[in-house]
Amino acid sequence: MPKKKQPKVKIWDKTIGSDYIEEIDLPQMHSWFFDGTHSIPPLTPLYAWHWVKYCSHGFKVACAELSIPTCKGWELRTLNGSIYCAFHIVRDPKEIAQREVKFRQALRPWLEDFDGLWAGHKKELLSIYSELKELDVDHATNLQLCHHSRNLRRSYMRMWEIHFLGMYASNNAWLLLEAMTKERFGLSDQDPQFQDMMRGFDNKIYQMDKKLWEFGKLATKMKLEDVFKQNEPQAILTKLRQSAKGKEWLKKFMDYMTTDDIGGWRMRRFTDFNEPYWLEDPATPIGLVKDNIIKGSSYNLEATRAELAQKREAAIATFLKRVPAEEKELFQSMIRLAGKASSYSEEHNLYCELFIQALMRRGYLAMGRRLAQKGTIDAPEDIFMMKPDEIDRVLMVPEAYDMRWLTRMRRAAWKEAHKTPKPPLLTDRASKDEAVEMDLFPSGDVIAIKLIVGELPQPKPELKADLWGICGCAGEAEGTARVVMMYDDLKKVQPGDILVCPGINPAWTPVFGLVKGVITDTGGTLCHAAIIGREYGVPTIVNTQQATSKIKSGQRVKMDAANGAIYILDK
Amino acid sequence: MSSGKLIFRFEELGQEHKNQVGRKCANLGEMTRMGLPVPPGFTTSIAMYRKFAKETGAAEEISRYVSRLGELKGKNIAFFDELSQNIRGMIEDKEVPKDISKKVASYYQELGKKVGVPDVAVSVRSSGTESRPGMFESYLNIIGIEDVLDKIKRVWASAYTARAIALRVNKDIPITGDELAVAVSKMVNARSAGIGFTVDPVTGDASKIIIDAGWGLGEGVVSGAENVDKFVVDKETLAISDTYIGKKTKQVINKKKGAGWDDVPAKKQSIPSLSNDEIVAIAKLAILLEERLGEPQDMEWAIDADLNPPDNIFLLQTRPAKVADKKPEAVTDRMIDLITKRFYRPNDRYHSN
Repeated sequence: MPKKKQPKVKIWDKTIGSDYIEEIDLPQMHSWFFDGTHSIPPLTPLYAWHWVKYCSHGFKVACAELSIPTCKGWELRTLNGSIYCAFHIVRDPKEIAQREVKFRQALRPWLEDFDGLWAGHKKELLSIYSELKELDVDHATNLQLCHHSRNLRRSYMRMWEIHFLGMYASNNAWLLLEAMTKERFGLSDQDPQFQDMMRGFDNKIYQMDKKLWEFGKLATKMKLEDVFKQNEPQAILTKLRQSAKGKEWLKKFMDYMTTDDIGGWRMRRFTDFNEPYWLEDPATPIGLVKDNIIKGSSYNLEATRAELAQKREAAIATFLKRVPAEEKELFQSMIRLAGKASSYSEEHNLYCELFIQALMRRGYLAMGRRLAQKGTIDAPEDIFMMKPDEIDRVLMVPEAYDMRWLTRMRRAAWKEAHKTPKPPLLTDRASKDEAVEMDLFPSGDVIAIKLIVGELPQPKPELKADLWGICGCAGEAEGTARVVMMYDDLKKVQPGDILVCPGINPAWTPVFGLVKGVITDTGGTLCHAAIIGREYGVPTIVNTQQATSKIKSGQRVKMDAANGAIYILDK
Repeated sequence: MSSGKLIFRFEELGQEHKNQVGRKCANLGEMTRMGLPVPPGFTTSIAMYRKFAKETGAAEEISRYVSRLGELKGKNIAFFDELSQNIRGMIEDKEVPKDISKKVASYYQELGKKVGVPDVAVSVRSSGTESRPGMFESYLNIIGIEDVLDKIKRVWASAYTARAIALRVNKDIPITGDELAVAVSKMVNARSAGIGFTVDPVTGDASKIIIDAGWGLGEGVVSGAENVDKFVVDKETLAISDTYIGKKTKQVINKKKGAGWDDVPAKKQSIPSLSNDEIVAIAKLAILLEERLGEPQDMEWAIDADLNPPDNIFLLQTRPAKVADKKPEAVTDRMIDLITKRFYRPNDRYHSN
């Protein structure tokens, strides 16, 4: 291929409305809040582009369709691979009152039949995905890939619309119950009593965990236990292929991965395209089966959940005894709805991001291979350093372009971003408090307040703790800290460790069966870590802001989750 | 005239016989006709009760007694208890006329032949033209014609339980306003039993099947006295979307004669009383029932311990499901109002830490 010369000019690699540009974005929105849940580690340019564009679209659509009175959606920007968010707050009282009328109508069907609506949306998503799956990306023409890339984005856009409709509806329900129990009975959603009422649901996350647990039992029954115990996941796979029994087990396992409605179409990493999905690299779920086997026969996932469910019914019954007769029904309905919110938070990612992003990774990597073959980029993964319009431009005639200058520059910047500190707030207001008061709270946005930005920890000086957070799941734990920044490091976690991490996503769930406690930098009482912590009954503290920087792997830590207090025992 | 027919086999009945044999029996007939797994049996009609009451003089005795009572509203429980005892006595003391007992005996014999057990154990249940769940008596595991006749008489008399009289008085229905048909059907030796709703009776959510289940006979579950297992099945996908395993310490089981409460063995108390396959099979039956009968159903089912799947599931009865009156909407209104006012009225205080 002919050598291509690059002109030496200054390159502006920022897009208005996508990358954070201080002189434009700051005066417009005043305060931008760091989204730690979705930004650690830094996002690849391709993923950040999608996130900023379509996630923010989803927010705006949900706020419009539900007519959220005080918020018209989120504005997102990317800075050094991190996501920052700002809120379109409705400040005119007249406009708020107008929006409220429609809001009351739009919310009703979700309160009356949450499961029915969510079931319909799940169906729609799965049917969109099955169409996308049909394309054989390895044998498709470049034109077909071009169309595929457009279809992926259109599907991604729809996914985010559905995602946020469900999320706003369910979180309002949760928030209402919390507000009412707090006001009437002094019970906040950080209280163990409250959290006991919201556990032990049988949803898709649990069903998939259970399936992996059953595959562990099957392996033991088939006398394959040692293969799992003595090898790393990748080697397990190789070993299994060498024996008849192993092949038989693997066949059953792969049947599940390919025939279940979700199965192996599940990204290992929750935000970003740069890690494989289960079907692509079965070593990931095989590793989870291994974890289950290591836990031994005394570990009974089914019994644990049944116990939680029983406890939940008992907790609800006990609570309802405190409620006056004329309000019993109201509280009962609120508890039921909040339970759905909790369950939705757990399982929606499987049907939303984790599935379609697996399809997107598959599609974009296929395009990456085409480009790499022709020397347009160095390697297939460099596609993640490009943006869709750049890909579209070169895909039909890749041999005519050399994009390596761009992908190399972006990769260097992306690597650098791993080391760049992330300011929690970018604002032109006088202080953080003022920014929160003026640019966050008036949005009334439940997702911002409960999930992403989170409530701030309230230290209790008399407890003399080293670090403070919000209680995700009450309980006490003491153990060796294991600081984990990325999924790949999860394998270093030993049974009985206390996991310390920036935030949790559904892909990380199975590790909760292994650890004694979980501490995160980010998130609120409805974030994944808190919800999964409650499901597994693992003490969890969220939104410490600085756990991963203050705690070192190997240190002994003690947590008193109910008080949000963390003690570092060997400093 | 057909309305005078005294006794029917289930397969001879359908919805059109509601006035002759009551709702429960008409439904049992309808289900039998649809080919659903209903235990075989027969029904004595309301006309049979009338014939009995007339020929034995019970009808006149009761009506004379009742006409002297005067205003009954506001009377206390002891009063209704006494009233009940007196009237039930007037029915139970009478000898069943020969032609009636002969007829019942021949149908009982026929049933025994059909299932291959001469003195077949049966359940004897009430069936009225109005749905009055829990008002009348049922008798389980009844063996031999003597006992069957005695229990039919007791079911007739149970139209005058204190609770049934009080209900009629309160609803301005004449005291003699309920006359009963009686369903006699082969007893299922239930390993597990319970109820199934094709609509959530509390919320009105029609996308799910809700199953309550326990060990032994369904009476333990229906009575609501014991902790039960709860299963929720999605109507469309048949996926089991929620499971709650209750700690089941008591069960109703067949005794040598009759049925009664017994302890559940410790190791069975906290395990599910149904397998996943059984849950789905019951859900499918419920969906079929709702489709064929054209409205949400509240049904009773049982799993026979002596038979193998898929022949071991039986439907014992079904009725239109009663959903809590309009309340879900009222509660929804309140929730919408609370959410709006608390979170989206910026002049009030919003979320604070």
